[in-house]
Amino acid sequence: MAKGMFVDTSICTGCKACQVACKEWNGIPGEPAHFHTVPDRPYAVAFNFTGNSYDNTGKLSATDWRHVRFIEQFNESRSEARWFFSSDSCKHCNDAGCLNACPVKAIVRTDLGNVFIQQDVCIGCKYCLPSCPYGVISFSEQTGTAHKCTLCNDRIHNGLGTACAKACPTSSISFGEVVELKKKADARLAQLRSIGHTKANIYGYSEAGGLNVFYLFLDNPIVYGQPLNPVVPQRRLFKSAAITIATAIAVAVAALISFRDRGMKNREEAKNDKP
Amino acid sequence: MINPEIQAPHWEWYYIAMYFYIGGVSAGAYFIGSLLELFNNDKLRIVSRIAYYLAFPLICVTPVLLIADLGRPMRFWHLFFYTGDAIPYMNTTSPLSVGTWALLVYSGMSFLSFVNVLVEDGRLRQPGLLRAHAFFVRIPHKIYAVIGSFFGFFVAGYTGVLLNTTARPLWEATDPLIGPLFIASAVSTGAAAIVLFMARQKIGTGEAFEHLERFDCIAMLIESALIVIMLIVAGHFAAPILTGLYGVLFLGGTVLAGILIPLWLYWRGTLLGASGDSVVTITAVLVLFGGLMLRISLLQAGQL
Repeated sequence: MAKGMFVDTSICTGCKACQVACKEWNGIPGEPAHFHTVPDRPYAVAFNFTGNSYDNTGKLSATDWRHVRFIEQFNESRSEARWFFSSDSCKHCNDAGCLNACPVKAIVRTDLGNVFIQQDVCIGCKYCLPSCPYGVISFSEQTGTAHKCTLCNDRIHNGLGTACAKACPTSSISFGEVVELKKKADARLAQLRSIGHTKANIYGYSEAGGLNVFYLFLDNPIVYGQPLNPVVPQRRLFKSAAITIATAIAVAVAALISFRDRGMKNREEAKNDKP
Repeated sequence: MINPEIQAPHWEWYYIAMYFYIGGVSAGAYFIGSLLELFNNDKLRIVSRIAYYLAFPLICVTPVLLIADLGRPMRFWHLFFYTGDAIPYMNTTSPLSVGTWALLVYSGMSFLSFVNVLVEDGRLRQPGLLRAHAFFVRIPHKIYAVIGSFFGFFVAGYTGVLLNTTARPLWEATDPLIGPLFIASAVSTGAAAIVLFMARQKIGTGEAFEHLERFDCIAMLIESALIVIMLIVAGHFAAPILTGLYGVLFLGGTVLAGILIPLWLYWRGTLLGASGDSVVTITAVLVLFGGLMLRISLLQAGQL
């Protein structure tokens, strides 16, 4: 049965324990702060700080498989504010764009439903990067291959949960059977709606064939940086290929017309007719 | 819904756009050559021979470009065999995988045609190749000309489908028109390459030039119609190819220098009678330049 994660953003505190646990378990290096001097400033300034709330990575990358987003919103008079946190990662889509695009079967789905990159097979063609409708999968110049969250492939195949879920102090991230997690998500959604969070929604039941890592958001998914209707690129493949083939046929017909002799003869005759 | 946070693959223009371009010129030339061979056009046999002389050497360059852009170049053979079980592998939902196999088949067919013209012209003296030729000459030329031009078209067009089946904003918004555009550009630049070769070598009849230029003209008209449709379909997502550096390359290089000026020169030529050699050469060079600018601007603007 498919394993996955349910991320309840309503109880996330933005502590980033999941980011740390992910890096520790998977042995991914951290990005050190890079400082440089700026005119008129007596002290060194870090140029790789995002400057966006408490966000320290800005995006998912080959070395950041988890990313906690900090969403600060104010009304016009700045008398009211809200602060959302959302821990983002690979969603392990059931119709995964990266897996569909991989030309060498480096990206595979395991028996537990997670999408996994076999590092010894990947050739670094980078075609999976633009094929992910979430911009998750990333290329590493160091290894020359693509990297992303594995859903802790080694842990989950040995009876453990994911490192991020294990480290999460508020159980905002929970790991388990997707079917069970959906029940939990539905119950939590009903609870939130009953206390007045009318915009609360579950993200990931239908997107990209269903996401094995899905979310509970308190507002529109766009607020949390997730696309509203992500399109798995390969679903357009047939139409794209068919129209290209149709053009090829049209060009072939044009070629037949241009290279046939009759047309030329008529022209020559027309020329000869001229006085 | 188009999400602006989709990652760019950072493909280098000097590898990937050059591959799109050279593969297109080769496939376009091969298609013209095989079409003339299929219809037994003896008067235009020279065009067909030059097409075969150009197609194979050009396609030989492309694997080098493709492999050089890989993160792990020495693993390029994984494209043909899955390392887990050493069984030949193709992912039918990946244009990149299917295209790799098509490129392999096309290279093989263009090699056979290339050896064929070499033997016909008495230029082949290498005994091994001569023996191989004696073996495969029994297969009718037309069979591999048909297979070759089918896969040639595949090589010319799949690169556009490959860009369209991604989630990058420009490439997603222009779906499904990059594939057709690359096909039209491939035959147009293929014809121009043959014209340029004939003009430089001072071979070929006036009739051959006229036929090729007429075909090139039709291909360019198809191309310009596709560009107009593409810009309408893409709407505001087309901004990267209409502004900035890639706007200059696309509008100035492809549309103006690569299509409008050659069309004007051709139109002027038909009005004033036969155009001089220099005009023919300039037209061909402009078409070839426009094709390259099309590949570079669409590839790079999609990664901005």
